[in-house]
Amino acid sequence: MTVAPSGEAPSRGSAVWLEGVGVRYGDAWALRDVDLEVGVGQRVALVGPSGAGKSTLLSLLNGTVLPTLGTVRVLGQDPTALAGRQQRRFQRRIGSIHQQLQLVGPLRVVHNVNAGRLGEWSLARAALSLVAPRDVGAARAALDRVGIPDKLYQRLDRLSGGEQQRVALARVLVQSPEIILGDEPIASLDPARGREMLDLLRGLAVESGTTLVVSLHAFELALSHFERVVGLRHGRVLFDCRPADVTPAAARGLYELH
Amino acid sequence: MAPVEEAAPEADLLVREALVGPGPAGVHRPRSRSRLVWAIAVGAAFVWALLAAGAGSRELVNPGGWPLLGRFAVAAVRPELGNDFLAIVWEATLTTLAYAVLGTAVSLVLGVIGGIVASRVWWHRRPRSGGWLAARGALGVPRAIHEAVWGLVLVNVLGLDPLVGVLAIGIPYGAVTAKVFSELLDEAPARGYEAMRAAGSGRLAAMAYGLGPEALPDMVSYAFYRFECSIRAATILGLVGAGGLGFQLSLSFQSLRYDEIWTLLYVLVVLGALTEVWSRAVRRRVGPAASVVGSGADLSRDRVLAGSVLGALALVALTASHLGVDPTTLWSGRSRGLAADFLGQALPPRVTGAALAELGRLTLETLQMAVLAIFLAGTAAASLALVGARRGAWGWAVRVLLLVCRAVPPPIWALLALFVFFAGPVPGALALAIYNFGILGRLMVEVVEGLDPRPVEGLRAQGASGPQAFLYGALPRALPRFAAYAVYRWEVTIRETVVVGLVGAGGLGRLLTDQLAAFDYPGVSLTLCALVVVTLAVDLAGAALRRVLR
Repeated sequence: MTVAPSGEAPSRGSAVWLEGVGVRYGDAWALRDVDLEVGVGQRVALVGPSGAGKSTLLSLLNGTVLPTLGTVRVLGQDPTALAGRQQRRFQRRIGSIHQQLQLVGPLRVVHNVNAGRLGEWSLARAALSLVAPRDVGAARAALDRVGIPDKLYQRLDRLSGGEQQRVALARVLVQSPEIILGDEPIASLDPARGREMLDLLRGLAVESGTTLVVSLHAFELALSHFERVVGLRHGRVLFDCRPADVTPAAARGLYELH
Repeated sequence: MAPVEEAAPEADLLVREALVGPGPAGVHRPRSRSRLVWAIAVGAAFVWALLAAGAGSRELVNPGGWPLLGRFAVAAVRPELGNDFLAIVWEATLTTLAYAVLGTAVSLVLGVIGGIVASRVWWHRRPRSGGWLAARGALGVPRAIHEAVWGLVLVNVLGLDPLVGVLAIGIPYGAVTAKVFSELLDEAPARGYEAMRAAGSGRLAAMAYGLGPEALPDMVSYAFYRFECSIRAATILGLVGAGGLGFQLSLSFQSLRYDEIWTLLYVLVVLGALTEVWSRAVRRRVGPAASVVGSGADLSRDRVLAGSVLGALALVALTASHLGVDPTTLWSGRSRGLAADFLGQALPPRVTGAALAELGRLTLETLQMAVLAIFLAGTAAASLALVGARRGAWGWAVRVLLLVCRAVPPPIWALLALFVFFAGPVPGALALAIYNFGILGRLMVEVVEGLDPRPVEGLRAQGASGPQAFLYGALPRALPRFAAYAVYRWEVTIRETVVVGLVGAGGLGRLLTDQLAAFDYPGVSLTLCALVVVTLAVDLAGAALRRVLR
């Protein structure tokens, strides 16, 4: 059932390639013996109970957590080996959507969207834009695509939870990354808005051919919106297959207590 | 769903004072136009204060003062360390500590009683209860008068008695504490209380069982914060004659013994640092910060907490015997006679056209000093807060600078400023600016430290540089709080302008000193009325301004 990388160097078509990866926090292993290859343009859902290692896995991919063991390659590069300018250039190619926690409440929507460009902007341009917003056209277009074009100059904390989540998506759009990572991006939304959000995310990813790796608590949505589902438990990969191949027994094994 | 709420650990109880206004947070949503109006008003006030303080027009600097200041600076490296003087300093330190400890104790007793009576719960949460409004209003007056002024007035009632210093701190601090305690009681989860009331329990018993335990950690935390403030207040009281470090400082200033001044300043800084370390250790373990730090210890089990509470009680006993406080003085025949005399002479206030005109002029001067001081202090503190929040040598240096600035009370800074400035609002504003820089800087550093790091981390993770991430992720969230603190300190500083006035730096304080020296009690009571009115007016303006900032 497990699709493990074959042990040789990552193929050209892979966006993410992990081999024998383990991450330890103090005495506890957050991830162990993880092998995972994600092809360019693939849409992968990570599922599993709280504490299974989903967030740690995503943090490995954007380079904010370093592996204790094993090899990590993202977009053909080793995130642990990068520093300074090179690291910034690498991070620019990876976008993240979390629960709205990464947004800045007192800032207007246009600035929250433009924050997606900070990786390419100079400091002077970033500072100037806070006074006289730059690239308003692109920001408006991104908001248009996520369905809230009229909120451009509103303060973010005046928006509803669902609208804030759309702003987070618009920010990733103007960043136009090659991989989008999502850490429970719909955890704070009601089921209907969560589904709508995933519809939107999937549509945008398909349209631009962006690789998608998203952790989800909503098991049904993982099956309906992604082409591959990876089940994690206690830091290990329990299953890794197409949604159609996830057996009820595997699903039960993922969440059952003990 | 609240992505923008965040806790600034240490500062949370101050936030309560600074940010809490009428109505639950977030209900009132000011439009940006009212913000713009306020921004223009604030800018105009600053320009007005700057012009009126005589920027460029009058002769401000006394060139003859520079050599004095130079000699003073040189003495920093050789403070007076003779045995005789050190003995005096030790005695003075104990006295100052005693005033602070006993003053805090009195304020807590008053605060608990007043807090219960001024809480909405006590008045059955009726929306417009006359009793509640009266209780709240009654707390406003003692709060509006500075500790030093209380001291000057109480001397006339109790004579030269150590109780003067204790009550001068206890009464105004008791009123502030009562206000905060009443809010804590009203915000505590009330289900237990309601259930007990429904089961037929009396109000007090139900509060003691249902609300008290919920509010206690925050109350303890606030009590220790008040103790920090009391140390500063006790020093200032010394300057107006109550003995202790402040009194020794005023003597050394009069005889221009710079070496002695430095010894006393060093003691003040160390005393301030020790109190803050103690207070922080306690407040980290209780109150809103505890959940952030993750210890969540309760009062009886945590060793530091239990030791601190026992130590505080022991300090009360020790310092009471050191001062030789005798509460019976309060109701002795002599005190009653003096009080009757004082009130008989002071009331009614003598209201004349000339007196009102003079009061109006000095009130404006007081306002200008406060505006100028907070503008300077706020700008400096905001620009250093980021550095102060960093680890490493620079962060440490900034934090020490801030500590020194706030450990030395404003009248001392004023006396130093008077070396090189002619008496007037400028040295007063400068002294208040330095002191408030220390206080605001600490609060702002705590704001930066307490910010939710996720937005900044998120920006860093997608390739933003450090300064960029600060600009987009941290500053927009910190600025409203910075501004709210500045406004809050402006309100407090209105009270403190009086104490720099006491040493001759202008404003209403100077008038009050002159009137007291001339035994002009009807004039004194009029000036006190003016002080109360100005303070309450500024409180209202400040509350409105802070609502706009929220």
